[in-house]
Amino acid sequence: MANDQPTGKAAPDDADVGFLERTFKEQQAPLTRYAARLLGDADRARDVVQDVFLRLMRQDHAEVAGHAVEWLFTVCRHRALDLLRKEGRMKRFEEGEMERVTAPEARPGHAIEVAETQASVLELIGQLTPQQQEVVRLKFQNGFSYKEISRITDLSVTNVGFIIHTAVARLRTAMAAQRP
Amino acid sequence: MSTQPFSPDDPQLTAYALGELEAAERAAVEARLRDDPAARAAVEAIRATARQLETALAAEPLPEVAPVRVAPRRSLGRILRLPQFYYATATLAAACLVVLVAVRGPEANRLAVAPPVEPAVLAEETAVMAKRERAEPAPAPAPAALARPAEAPQLQEISAAAVVRENEARAAGARAKRAQIAEFKVDAEKDHATLLGNAGSAARIGMKAQRAPVAYGTKATFGLVADPGMNTETYAYQAETGFVEAAQNPLSTFAIDVDTASYANVRRFLNQGRLPPADAVRIEELLNYFPYRYTPPAGSDPVGITLEVAAAPWAPDRRLVRVGLKGREVTTGERPAANLVFLLDVSGSMNHPNKLPLVQESLRLLVARLRPDDRVAIVTYAGSSGLALPSTPVVRAAEILAAVADLRPGGSTNGAMGIQLAYDIAKANFVTGGLNRVILCTDGDFNVGVTSEGDLVRLIEEKAKSGVFLTVLGFGMGNYKDATLERLADKGNGHYGYIDGKREAEKLLVAQVNGTLVTVAKDVKVQVEFNPARVAAYRLIGYENRRLAKEDFNNDAVDAGELGAGHTVTALYEIVPAGQVPPGGAAVDDLKYGRTETGAAPPAASDELLNVKVRFKAPAAEASERREFPLRDAGLGFAAASADFKFAAAVTSFGQLLRDSSYRGAATWADVTAWARAGLGDDAGGYRSEFLALVAQAAELNRANAQ
Repeated sequence: MANDQPTGKAAPDDADVGFLERTFKEQQAPLTRYAARLLGDADRARDVVQDVFLRLMRQDHAEVAGHAVEWLFTVCRHRALDLLRKEGRMKRFEEGEMERVTAPEARPGHAIEVAETQASVLELIGQLTPQQQEVVRLKFQNGFSYKEISRITDLSVTNVGFIIHTAVARLRTAMAAQRP
Repeated sequence: MSTQPFSPDDPQLTAYALGELEAAERAAVEARLRDDPAARAAVEAIRATARQLETALAAEPLPEVAPVRVAPRRSLGRILRLPQFYYATATLAAACLVVLVAVRGPEANRLAVAPPVEPAVLAEETAVMAKRERAEPAPAPAPAALARPAEAPQLQEISAAAVVRENEARAAGARAKRAQIAEFKVDAEKDHATLLGNAGSAARIGMKAQRAPVAYGTKATFGLVADPGMNTETYAYQAETGFVEAAQNPLSTFAIDVDTASYANVRRFLNQGRLPPADAVRIEELLNYFPYRYTPPAGSDPVGITLEVAAAPWAPDRRLVRVGLKGREVTTGERPAANLVFLLDVSGSMNHPNKLPLVQESLRLLVARLRPDDRVAIVTYAGSSGLALPSTPVVRAAEILAAVADLRPGGSTNGAMGIQLAYDIAKANFVTGGLNRVILCTDGDFNVGVTSEGDLVRLIEEKAKSGVFLTVLGFGMGNYKDATLERLADKGNGHYGYIDGKREAEKLLVAQVNGTLVTVAKDVKVQVEFNPARVAAYRLIGYENRRLAKEDFNNDAVDAGELGAGHTVTALYEIVPAGQVPPGGAAVDDLKYGRTETGAAPPAASDELLNVKVRFKAPAAEASERREFPLRDAGLGFAAASADFKFAAAVTSFGQLLRDSSYRGAATWADVTAWARAGLGDDAGGYRSEFLALVAQAAELNRANAQ
């Protein structure tokens, strides 16, 4: 993917309303999923996401133009971490969290059909460190570039590149080992 | 410019593979990659992994969220309506589901009119309301909308149905987005192929406009004409086997071959005004291209056999024996459900009207012939491999056809990775007792990837044990890798066809769809024992790469050919009757201690010419069954032979002439035409008439070449 490609999934257009509505429609669920992973709790994730969108509405659109999705994820991450800090529990990715976060009915047909291959890939992703998981998801699930991930997570671009490289290498080896 | 090889631990390689580098860095990496095949392979592997991660992560369910509407609110700013607001107000307003009430209710007004100059109030209130709402049992998700009060009445119309529609729209949007992203990737890989100086891909990629679907069907827009000078097609060397003395070697053993690819390929050459290279002409595949009217199998046997002997037209003092096998016919209704995984090569080299668009056309034809309970999945492979369509029942044909229409060529080929994924999908959706088959559509240009051809063949061989069969359909020209494809099909319990046009696609995927999909017998072997009292020497015509050692016939561990429903297989033997001197003279001394190699006593003056033994296994069986058929020679002349026999003789002679075989005898192109005409029969499907046209074309080309 070329670097100037809009990796965020929406770019603001002139009609603010259309932009907000579209952004919300497209990003509400992915953001909630991301927040739920950080928080380990889908309900509180919804609260955070709601808050993030309210902030987006107040934001001057010229400021977020072109990177609204990145902005949403960045603010979402800060809000989620604030919340965790406030509650004095920074521990994330608790055991069993995956089950609580996932909504098995969301896309039924699809999930069942490719379950075998994908479940094993997801399982392997689940074995990565929390930081690797977060970055891998931002990259391969949300389609952010290294630079965008760097801004969202406050890691350096080099650091993001290294984390992804290590994670992909580890997954590659693990997936190859799984093959019969 | 540095040409130092990359370390596999270099994060730059990953960044490059994922398209994360700036133009300058990217160019530098590409320059280094040019001389670093290991790093290129690593890039492909990283992309493949990335693609798998994307597929798996995309399947991770999204949390349930209620849809939301945003509406303009005069010039003051924007109001975002979250479902929680609605739930809260709705509770207060006695659970009324009409949005209008919420909008008009005092609480709602307070929220809606919250001035944007004091946004903090709105946020705080939101939190309070939301918390309260969660204490209540959550109502069914309802549409939430907010607008200026003046506009509110219009929103009354929103109903639960609208929510459903909206959800669907969102899902569709997400799908479209993924498709878009995939397309970007394809583009990037295409560029990459060009930059890497992959001559084959670059030559074929051409203008961007070619990617527009409308351009696919029209040759003219491509400006791409097959250049006879530039050709990297490969064919395995086919040594022609000569006569074998029956007294020394009375047994001839071979595995059947139902492939037809060579005929379609020869036709393609001739239609382009070129004579095919000798090694592209496999006579058994020419023979087996045509349907023959053989006796169907008796009882529940999967295989029937027909034998015939008459004079060999190109050498009238010799005899020609035809061994014909026919697989039991199975109708679409009778056959078990199919689980098909199409493995499609969408690499840059497939960007040609005779390749990917033809693959798409073929798929459409096939889907139309499948049963609603059959399943189809599509795996693509180019620079990275991916799942273009998860296993989908044919009852949802629209989805399958949409996925087919979405295929775009681009990138270089990593066949091994794709094959792995395709077999994984086939296994995941395995239908016990059904037809589980991977159908590989490619030009066979496996030029990138960690896997050597030997590894690839071993991989296929390994996968064939899982009960998933393989069909290989070859497409295109220019860099067609015939030898690889035939070997893959052979090792994968498969069938190999070459599709050079819509007509051929119709033959393989419509007229003979059940033969292509249903295997009625596997590991079918034929062993012919010649009676030395009647036969001085014999020659099996064609089947050069299908011959087996005589011990292999009874060894069930030895892999052999598969027979599809209704398929016919024809093998011809040219026989020098006892009393004549075989061509080349008696090369071997008579045995001192026994008349035959095994030392058995000579057959007691049997009048049989030969005895044919057939071994086959039921598709799921491990042990083989055996049938025997003796043949006596009534001394028929060629003119008295059946139409099928004459036609088969004509096709054989055609192949021998094209190969310029030393066994072509007295045959001329005119003879071939005459024999084929005599064997035209009722010519269902018009295949035999087409053959006549090809003979004329070959004769013409030959004349032109001789001048």
